[in-house]
Amino acid sequence: MAVSGFEGFEKRLELHFSGNDPLGLRRLRCDALAQVLDAVQCTVVSAVGNRYFDAYILSESSLFVYPQKMVLKTCGTTQLLRSVPCLLRHTADLGLRLRACRFSRGSFIFPRAQPFPHTSFAEEALYLEERLPPSLCFRRACVLPSASSHSWHVYAAADDDEHVAAASPSTFTVEVCMTELDRSLARGFFRRKGDERSGDAAGADMTDLTGIGGISPRALLCGFAFDPCGYSMNGLDRDRYSTIHVTPEDGHSYASFECTGGGVEVIEWVRRAIGVFRPGEVSVSFRMAEGGDEKQVWSATSAALEPLGLSCRSQAAEGLPGAGTVTYQTFTARGVVRP
Amino acid sequence: MAEKGSVIGCHTVAEWNRHLQLARESGKLVVVYFTSSWCGPCRMIAPVFADLANKFTDAIFLRVDVNELKRVALDCAIETLPTFIFLRQGNIVDRVVGARKDVLPKKIELHMRK
Repeated sequence: MAVSGFEGFEKRLELHFSGNDPLGLRRLRCDALAQVLDAVQCTVVSAVGNRYFDAYILSESSLFVYPQKMVLKTCGTTQLLRSVPCLLRHTADLGLRLRACRFSRGSFIFPRAQPFPHTSFAEEALYLEERLPPSLCFRRACVLPSASSHSWHVYAAADDDEHVAAASPSTFTVEVCMTELDRSLARGFFRRKGDERSGDAAGADMTDLTGIGGISPRALLCGFAFDPCGYSMNGLDRDRYSTIHVTPEDGHSYASFECTGGGVEVIEWVRRAIGVFRPGEVSVSFRMAEGGDEKQVWSATSAALEPLGLSCRSQAAEGLPGAGTVTYQTFTARGVVRP
Repeated sequence: MAEKGSVIGCHTVAEWNRHLQLARESGKLVVVYFTSSWCGPCRMIAPVFADLANKFTDAIFLRVDVNELKRVALDCAIETLPTFIFLRQGNIVDRVVGARKDVLPKKIELHMRK
């Protein structure tokens, strides 16, 4: 285990807005977005859009902008939550009203390297408490536990205790975090010496060669290969996004997979994504509409990961305002000795 | 007729056909930028495209809004934006998808050489 290195585990922010404009958040100007990303200390590396949403690959993960929803996911030592005050100013200018906010993350590999307000979950929750508008009066912070020291941290706030009507009841969002990646597979995410091609060109190659292209064949994928190593990908499939980020270095290797869709297909994509990396440890967190059956999600996920040699070590679920139900399961590869 | 070094907006099918015809006759490389008002990444790349038009005055730079020219967008199989299409003698020779400001100038140079 490395003493220090790049932090793969992301912080994720999802914000829901309402307003009269059908374009909504997509009206945010380039300089407004640049200011928001500046506050977080990251930049746009690649960007693409379709009729439903815009997808940006950032220097540290990804940003998705729908008319009424924004998902910002950043890794390393970025100060993700500093985007909130900046965003609230710019969205107010557009006549958009914040309806719900959800912040989530796993446990950092290098927690002491994190800057304010990410020094602790308590600090993160307090930061949001102080900056979210009072109209978001239903709030909850919780830590879903596992059998190890890893946890899933979620802070949710909404102006309505019921599920904010942004997604249909059959839509799931899944966040998968993988560590201890198979070493030979992780090597596929290092750039070859002397390769002078652009990050996009090398990224497109990595997408194909590593099998990432086969996870969700319908999606249009934009991959980016960082120098000397690292990979990010955004996928667009009609109104659904997917995203993968890889930190391949031995000692603190990490890969994440996130997507939205119907329950059955999402679990299949999760199974394929995990197959690409063959990790030693995995956590899977689903967000589903209120009233969803977490037991069904737990068992379907366990059943899908079992043939990959992964055993479920823990499962938990919580209801959260404006966020429905959030589940958290951890898995370890069988036959691996844990200290 | 727009001056050399600027981006020409095609707002009707007639304009589109006319500019393609002129390009075919001149043998010049045509770079088409497909865009839309609903696309944030398009706003990012627009100034870059304008700069490239200024720089590569021997190529023709066209801009097409996919809502205005739906048929053209369909014919060119445009699904995500921005998409840049490179045409020579009326044939599509290359395509760049996404706001890739490092890749675009290189592609233009590559096709200008041919």
